[in-house]
Amino acid sequence: MSSDYEISDDDENYYVDDEDMIDGTQDDDEDDIDMDTFGDDFKVASKSKRKSYEIDYESLSQTAVEELMQSDVDHICGIFGVEASTAALLLRHMSWNKERLIEKYMDNPTKVLVAAGITVEEPLSPPAPIRSHCSSASASSRRPTRSASKLLGLASGSKSPKSPSFASPPLKATRPPKSAPFVCPICYDESPDLRPLALDCEHPFCSGCWIAYASSKINDEAEHTIRCMAETCALVAPDAFIRDLLVPEPGAPAGDPAEEAANAATWARFQELLVRHFVASNPNLKYCPYPSCTNTVSCPAAASKASLITTVPIVSCGARGIGGAAQMSQSQQLSIGLAGKEHKFCFGCSIESDHRPVVCGAAKMWLKKCEDDSETANWIKSNTKECPQCMSTIEKNGGCNHMTCKKCKNDFCWVCMGPWVEHGTAWYSCNRYDEKGGVEARDAQSKSRASLERYLHYYNRWANHEQSAKLSVELYAKTEKKMEDMQITSALTWIEVQFMKKAVEEVEKCRMTLKWTYAMAYYLAKGNEKELFEDNQRDLEKAVEDLSELLESPIEAENIPTLRQKVTDKTVYVQKRNEIMLEDTATGFLEGRWKWNAAIEGFDVPEKTEY
Amino acid sequence: MDARLRRVNKEIADCKNDKTSNIKIDLIEESPFHLKGSFPGPEGTPYQGGHFEVDIVIPESYPFQPVKLKFITKVYHPNVSSASGAICLDILKDAWSPVLTLKSTLISLQSLLCSPEPNDPQDAEVAKHYTTSKNSFEDTAIYWTQIYAGGPGPKEKKGKASTARETRDEIAIAGLERAHVEQFEALGFERSKVIDVLRRLNYRGPNVAKLSEDRVVEELLK
Ligand SMILES: [Zn+2]
Ligand SMILES: [Zn+2]
Ligand SMILES: [Zn+2]
Ligand SMILES: [Zn+2]
Ligand SMILES: [Zn+2]
Ligand SMILES: [Zn+2]
Repeated sequence: MSSDYEISDDDENYYVDDEDMIDGTQDDDEDDIDMDTFGDDFKVASKSKRKSYEIDYESLSQTAVEELMQSDVDHICGIFGVEASTAALLLRHMSWNKERLIEKYMDNPTKVLVAAGITVEEPLSPPAPIRSHCSSASASSRRPTRSASKLLGLASGSKSPKSPSFASPPLKATRPPKSAPFVCPICYDESPDLRPLALDCEHPFCSGCWIAYASSKINDEAEHTIRCMAETCALVAPDAFIRDLLVPEPGAPAGDPAEEAANAATWARFQELLVRHFVASNPNLKYCPYPSCTNTVSCPAAASKASLITTVPIVSCGARGIGGAAQMSQSQQLSIGLAGKEHKFCFGCSIESDHRPVVCGAAKMWLKKCEDDSETANWIKSNTKECPQCMSTIEKNGGCNHMTCKKCKNDFCWVCMGPWVEHGTAWYSCNRYDEKGGVEARDAQSKSRASLERYLHYYNRWANHEQSAKLSVELYAKTEKKMEDMQITSALTWIEVQFMKKAVEEVEKCRMTLKWTYAMAYYLAKGNEKELFEDNQRDLEKAVEDLSELLESPIEAENIPTLRQKVTDKTVYVQKRNEIMLEDTATGFLEGRWKWNAAIEGFDVPEKTEY
Repeated sequence: MDARLRRVNKEIADCKNDKTSNIKIDLIEESPFHLKGSFPGPEGTPYQGGHFEVDIVIPESYPFQPVKLKFITKVYHPNVSSASGAICLDILKDAWSPVLTLKSTLISLQSLLCSPEPNDPQDAEVAKHYTTSKNSFEDTAIYWTQIYAGGPGPKEKKGKASTARETRDEIAIAGLERAHVEQFEALGFERSKVIDVLRRLNYRGPNVAKLSEDRVVEELLK
């Protein structure tokens, strides 16, 4: 994984140790985990340091997950006395639920083997059955098709029932009778050098067709269950069969390099699909959603739905930036804001970013609402507005909400369009929705108008923080160049010009927090708790706007020392405010302090809805 | 030669040489990857006597991915969209196998006309018609076969004036029952409006889907 991230002095170091992780996951026994990690200084320290808005989790590489899979496979091999490839297919068939597999297999092994596509179904009245308890039912997905098999006796007529065999070599070159040369039933090729291959069902197809078929399933359909190509045959190709198709044997004569590269990529994709299936089957695990990242996060603390009303399980897979597989230049990554970005995502829901402090249920509800109401709200997102004084069009180009009209020099707030002077003083009310309108609404029409306005109030601020965060990063890209030039021309050291980077990162982070606080506030029931929440929100917002404004001040070599002092102080303050916001909200969830005005997933339905 | 091209060419040739099946496959333009299939409607079904044409697109990864089929001829059938001709058939999806051919797939399609699966419908309205009023469904299917697929049409019933036949035809196209249309016509509404509203509400009689007569009148008054 390539990463162009530069290490800055006070960045949190993330400790990754594959060995420890394997021990810590998968195990249901809590005591075992504690025993394993006992005495590890780092872990003990990190545990006591963990903040109320953070959650314990571990990051696993693809190899580490494969080792977990292998240990399950070994376990099943030991119990059933079957080959590893059989154990793997059985586990996949049962979605890696070992207990259920053992139970079902002990009850009727043939039934499970047939359903998993490992052995061919035995005939109902066998002349000389080796295994007598054969089942008529089959749960395989490709069963007699609705109509084709009725009219055509296609492949099924030539099929001869087979008895199960575990130890047969995966690749079986079937020898056709000498009289009839092999013609592949798919590509109709009849060249004598054709290599016919079949699974245990002995339905032969040429190796070229097998490769094309497996590649299509794996690459086009993201399918890891590769069934025999014969109609109504439900046998599944074992991994070794797929590997032999796609990976040339050592010492084999070199083929077409482009073809071999494509097959190697398909084999890698196949292995990734197996890992994804295993991860998806285990509630303690989640696959990193970032493009071309193959890491997994283990977070047993957030595995249950019930945990999601007290915690917001934001995790990180440990990687940064975009993986080498995605062909993207550093500047391209920078322009879409992904350069060196930590792979943060929510373990509890499908939101692929940090939505703290608000819980998953409310965050999802808010996003759904925004999607439904996007038509109405679109105009606010627009980047241009009119100056409230002279009506000339003003474009927002930095992250700061303090706007100064170029024409009439009017100072106003981008969010509420009110005069900026009111925002600089002790009373700062831009974050709080004026509820009088709602109370006074009498008839239905004005009520629905009031409800739309209430929504727009929160949405407006939500969208603005998102937009401002983006603009701050863009602005910084320009500043960064200037700072680097300055480092060359002045006596400043590299470390001394890093303060802007740190500040921009902080602003971006805090704007994300602020963004989600508006989603949360929209659903918070009116009352003292909500007021305290909005007080914290206001303090953070004020601090962020101040820092944002500082970042837009002109940079000259001579004012750098003063600017640096100011920016650093403000950054520390902003950090503190963000900490308070997150801590208090998270503690509130643990205490069950927050009351909602709407039915949020997992929470009790509020008796009355008061906004 | 490209394996896909070789296979499709052979399939087309095999189909031409096969004099026993009624399946035909023709090129639409020069490309062998966009074809037109056709077959007669199966005997003993409302589709008997009709000639049905199917649009065939051979995807890039054929035969490892299924062919894309849709009816060109309008068909009144629970598993065929009455508007687009899209088809709901298992072998065109998950149950596809690379050993299936264009011919065998078209035979499956033909057999789908014999045995509708209303529980897995493509056209919900037609499926509902099929399950609630089979006779009326068949009338419509026969009529569609006549006007869209060149079928023989319904068996002549004696003593019907030409205007009455025309009315019946309009009603049949809409998939409605004559008695229902006449019932609301008697209340003084225009026939075309009655047909329009009943079709939109998917009216199959007062007891079906709790659709009251009052509700229909309410719609008619709009
Ligand atoms: Zn087979
Ligand atoms: Zn072949
Ligand atoms: Zn990742
Ligand atoms: Zn979440
Ligand atoms: Zn102005
Ligand atoms: Zn404001």
